[in-house]
Amino acid sequence: MNQRNQTSVYGAALTRRGFVKTGGALMVGFGVAGTGVFESSAKAATMRNTLDATLPESWIEIHPDNTILIRTGKSDFGQSTTFTAYRQIVAEELNASFDAITTVVMGDTDRTPDGSGAFDFLGSGTPNIRKAAAYTYQALLDLASQRLGIPKTAISVKDGVASGGGKSMPYGELVKGQQLKLTIPVKGDLTSPMGLTVDGNPPMKPVSEYTVIGKSFRNSVTASKVAAKEQWATDVRLSGMLHARMVHPKTLGSALVQVGTLDKSKFPNAQVVVKGNLVGVVAPTEWEAIRAADQVASGTKWKDWKGLPGHARLFDFLKRDADWKTTRVTKSDKSKDDVSPAMSKASKKLTASYQMPFIKHAPLGPTMALADVRKDGTVYIYTHNQNPQALRGEIAMMLATQPDNIVVRTFSGPGHYGRSNGGNAGAEDEAVILSQAVGKPVRVQWMRPEDFQWSTQSPASMSDVEIGLDANGKIAAYQIDHYMPAMQDDRPIGAVLAGLPTMAAPNEKGVFIGSTVNDISDPWIYDGVVNIVERGHGTFQVGEKSSPLTVGLRDHSLRTPGQFQQNFPRELAITEAAALAGADSIQFRIDHTKADSKAGERVVNVLKSVREASGWETRASRGKSNGSSVLRGQGVSVMFRSGTYWACVAQIAVTPSTGAITVEKVTVAVDPGIVVNPLQLKRQVEGGTVMGVSIALLEELQFDESGITTRDWRTYPILKMADIPEIKVVLLNRPEVGTYGGGSEAANALAAPAIASALFDATGKILRRLPLKPEYVQAALKA
Amino acid sequence: MATISVNGMKREIQASADTPLLYALRNELELSGPQFGCGLAQCGACSVLLDGKEIRSCTTTLAAVGAKEVTTLEGLPARWGKQKGLSPTDAEKTLHPVQQAWIEEQVPLCGFCQNGMMIKATELLEQNATPSVSEIKDAFTKSGPSAHLCRCGSYTAIIAAVQLASMQMAKGGAR
Repeated sequence: MNQRNQTSVYGAALTRRGFVKTGGALMVGFGVAGTGVFESSAKAATMRNTLDATLPESWIEIHPDNTILIRTGKSDFGQSTTFTAYRQIVAEELNASFDAITTVVMGDTDRTPDGSGAFDFLGSGTPNIRKAAAYTYQALLDLASQRLGIPKTAISVKDGVASGGGKSMPYGELVKGQQLKLTIPVKGDLTSPMGLTVDGNPPMKPVSEYTVIGKSFRNSVTASKVAAKEQWATDVRLSGMLHARMVHPKTLGSALVQVGTLDKSKFPNAQVVVKGNLVGVVAPTEWEAIRAADQVASGTKWKDWKGLPGHARLFDFLKRDADWKTTRVTKSDKSKDDVSPAMSKASKKLTASYQMPFIKHAPLGPTMALADVRKDGTVYIYTHNQNPQALRGEIAMMLATQPDNIVVRTFSGPGHYGRSNGGNAGAEDEAVILSQAVGKPVRVQWMRPEDFQWSTQSPASMSDVEIGLDANGKIAAYQIDHYMPAMQDDRPIGAVLAGLPTMAAPNEKGVFIGSTVNDISDPWIYDGVVNIVERGHGTFQVGEKSSPLTVGLRDHSLRTPGQFQQNFPRELAITEAAALAGADSIQFRIDHTKADSKAGERVVNVLKSVREASGWETRASRGKSNGSSVLRGQGVSVMFRSGTYWACVAQIAVTPSTGAITVEKVTVAVDPGIVVNPLQLKRQVEGGTVMGVSIALLEELQFDESGITTRDWRTYPILKMADIPEIKVVLLNRPEVGTYGGGSEAANALAAPAIASALFDATGKILRRLPLKPEYVQAALKA
Repeated sequence: MATISVNGMKREIQASADTPLLYALRNELELSGPQFGCGLAQCGACSVLLDGKEIRSCTTTLAAVGAKEVTTLEGLPARWGKQKGLSPTDAEKTLHPVQQAWIEEQVPLCGFCQNGMMIKATELLEQNATPSVSEIKDAFTKSGPSAHLCRCGSYTAIIAAVQLASMQMAKGGAR
């Protein structure tokens, strides 16, 4: 046993071992701090096939050649954060150069330490990787102190070279032949959706000394994707692998009656696998699997089921038939118990209801996964997944085995905006079930209609708003009630169909994720108004309880989840209140902030920035709906999300005779505090804005009483290049804020309330329902 | 069994003649540029050039390909090299100006659709060396079997990259 020296570094226990040859020293430091934190870290560390999150080298490896490798459990699907911002953040905390970080290992359960999903990458300014880097830096300083023979305080580091007392040594030299052992405190549950969190408070580099953060570094995977050198999940092939296509039930509640007979004369190499209501067809070639599955599907009989309201009756159903009583009602922190006294004194009042449809994540590629269930019981899954550790837990539960036996490897794949943030996107568990059945690796690829019809959706919602204005046209009272079915069903669909163990469907007793509770997730930013009530009402997923398969319309969070559903009604209602007050829509918002507070100042600042950059006309709404000529209007929306303040102005043209809206220009002002990477943030905002215009104008899930009738890009159109607006992005870098907020959400939610406000401005008619498609616009104009 | 010409080489394919080209490219030739997006010629993720014209490999059978020349994303550097009279060794070292522009402008977000976007851009620039913004929008929306779709919303960046590629090609390429 090697001798070890331990010192305490800001709550982490530091141990340095000389010339350790084996990697079998994982237990160093456990329990040293004597806190409960270490129980969970010990639990995590003893899980095979995962790196020990308490060891710095699980996060950051410094090599003798001065290159650096970083690892994160977060899977990047185009946010670019792990390849740009994470490298910048680590380089900054280590005082190393950006280019020194040559490798980013991401999302593989056996090669990364921390888990969690593809959300909140910047961790409210302190992502796990930043703290891990900060701890590592302290350990490096200690090592440098020892090697250079000078006190730690006398050492300075630049570009990965430690200097002091006239001597210097690069990191590579410093660590050569040495092994740093530092126990990083972590808490949490690795295979839960949130994964592990790095704990403690290591000293961080002061913002004033930043040299790497704030620059537009390129995404290191872009070049490989562009040159066709990237390995996508769709490219992974294993020896002896079979291709599979699924034969999903006829409806979202249909049990299997009889499986179709495979025509062996046509498909000699194909094989049908049936488990409960799960039917799959495997074959050595993809084309045979596709055709054989079609042939089997045509002969397969399912029970009929009609348990959905159909999209035309959706909001009637939600109002009259849905159960809003079983689930507890939530309230925002800023809510008062009762605003009715103030409301009753109002001189003018707005009472309105708003509706948002189910929408799809609609990744450009349908979900797929390759699974290899081996004879020794270990399972390897190769896929594109936003939360591989959570998937691992779900697959272990499904197979009644330990997560130790499961490895998930994540590859590049189509962005799916939250759909697999709870661990699965559809095909992963099906591939495992089929692989187990046939004893070979199986690659399941969903077809386009299945990806629309058997995946989860972002839940529909309704909101009732009451706003009372006083005699001066100021908001005296604000009340909003949000209604939304459960948003997060993480049950793997294949396991559900096969009758294998899964977590429960979202229910009133579930906590956090897996609950029907509708939390308030759109922070109130108009702090000049104090008489407010914001309530959230939740219910079960539509059709789930009546479906014999417990399926129905399953939901999952989509980019800016929940907050989009709450921000659209709020922002559109504020626009209407401004019109009622005869005020300019931006100035009305500014007048209701608490401008002398830090938060209020940032709200005012984004609003003023977007007003100036967009060419906003300061005036009250003046819309007219008559006439056949094109009408123009402007609208604004505001949001606070993940540490970032956003304001958006949409300028539109609408043709009253057709109801067609052309979004001419969208201007977005963004204040994340510190801008980590201007170019990548700009691209995120542009992309999010295009998605937002698409959702605002076009997107609505179509379904009948049995299932989803949306099946392809014709029945679920998204915005095309010819229809994009001019997009202007204003990045407000505010280092004095001291932290960096997120940038890959929010933009997709800003366009809808701004465009709906602009429609109101242009026509004087309000459409409180998405999408703003011509037939709904026409109906609103005639009303 | 069929023989098709892909990126300048004759390739033997085991798959039957009714098999869509996409599966032969991906599974037999291990060309991973074209992606399976819809199988319905509605999105453009699987695009390749067939004798210089953008087609959807997910609905084009091997029989329909016949003797025509298939160019995939992997074949764009050599296609550019041939057009510029570069030696094969030099061509190997470079990327097509369209690819180079895609990197310059940091176009891809998830990147899944970008194969088709770069194929469409190449087709466009071979026919119209200096397209206007509205010509670019038209090409990506109205030419071909369907509009080229991007869920991440990279259209703005694509327009900038096509314009950059157009400039670079006029100058003889980025390198």
